[in-house]
Amino acid sequence: MSTNTSVHVSLEQAKLLVEYIETDQQDKADELIAEIQSPINTALFAEIGKLTRQLHDSLNNFHLDSRLNDLATADIPDAKERLNFVISRTEEAANKTMDAVETIFPVVDSIQQQISTVKPLWHKLMHNDLDIGEFKELCRDIDILLKTTEKETNKIHGLMTDVLMAQDFQDLTGQVIRKVIDLVREVEESLINMLTAFGMTADSEREKSAPKVGENLVEGPIVNAEERDDVVEDQDDVDDLLSSLGF
Amino acid sequence: MKVLVVDDFSTMRRIIKNLLRDLGFTNISEADDGSTALPMLKEGDFDFVVTDWNMPGMQGIDLLKAIRADSKLSHIPVLMVTAEAKKEQIVMAAQAGVNGYIVKPFTAATLNTKLDKIFERLG
Repeated sequence: MSTNTSVHVSLEQAKLLVEYIETDQQDKADELIAEIQSPINTALFAEIGKLTRQLHDSLNNFHLDSRLNDLATADIPDAKERLNFVISRTEEAANKTMDAVETIFPVVDSIQQQISTVKPLWHKLMHNDLDIGEFKELCRDIDILLKTTEKETNKIHGLMTDVLMAQDFQDLTGQVIRKVIDLVREVEESLINMLTAFGMTADSEREKSAPKVGENLVEGPIVNAEERDDVVEDQDDVDDLLSSLGF
Repeated sequence: MKVLVVDDFSTMRRIIKNLLRDLGFTNISEADDGSTALPMLKEGDFDFVVTDWNMPGMQGIDLLKAIRADSKLSHIPVLMVTAEAKKEQIVMAAQAGVNGYIVKPFTAATLNTKLDKIFERLG
């Protein structure tokens, strides 16, 4: 029996089939039908066999790829922790900085106040309009001003150093974020491999879909404003947009 | 003037509070979400609201709409300070009755200008 699938049934076979049926030889007719179908079936079974093998292999690879398992059970939870770390470090840094700044404001204010206290008498001095009593008062005030300023500027210096040091978060969070980016890349590759294995490769005909945010309007800070035309880039754009609409 | 600052990030609330204090506003309260802000507003005699958009419970846009829909609150000027920068969002806020829209990151000068504009317009 040939496995040539291009010839399904010959005239001879058809004539023979009719003869069998006309002479009531059902068994022989069935046998002949089976014979005719056989090459088709063989080819079909071969195809199914091939697909089953492919599926079996893919599923095995899937299963054997413990990397995927690790990703799901360890690395992604780890990534979430890392990102939470970034949030808390940056919050900490912001608060430290603001603590320093909030402490500096009144210090600066007090220096400004001292200066305003001194100014009227100093002004008079500059215009040679000061009597000896006022001059003594001016000297005392300036003495206070100098001592205060000396103390406060030292304090400011220390606080500025605190602000500087608080910026260390950038380095630490940067490293952590890089690790997460690596992880995302790995997940991306795994997903692409999976899709490829199941024959769903990204065709060039298919459009690359833009990252969806569901039906949700809210996107948070835009990270690629230059590549988009549905967002504003700065406050001036906002103001222009609003005034162009009459607001 | 009693001001309510609404943002789910405490650091941002702190920044805005400091800037407002610098501009002479001394009576400032905070809320961490539109859903906590609304009852405070209904309760309390606020004259001005500064709010973010993106908050987990009730978003700023919905808070704004709720304020405008309540006859006791609809007169309160609302300034949005947010990272949301899509043109359709800006238009949406304007149509919902926002008095000013500032995108993050912003400067103290911008905040100052917008506040002046808001209070100037109200006379």
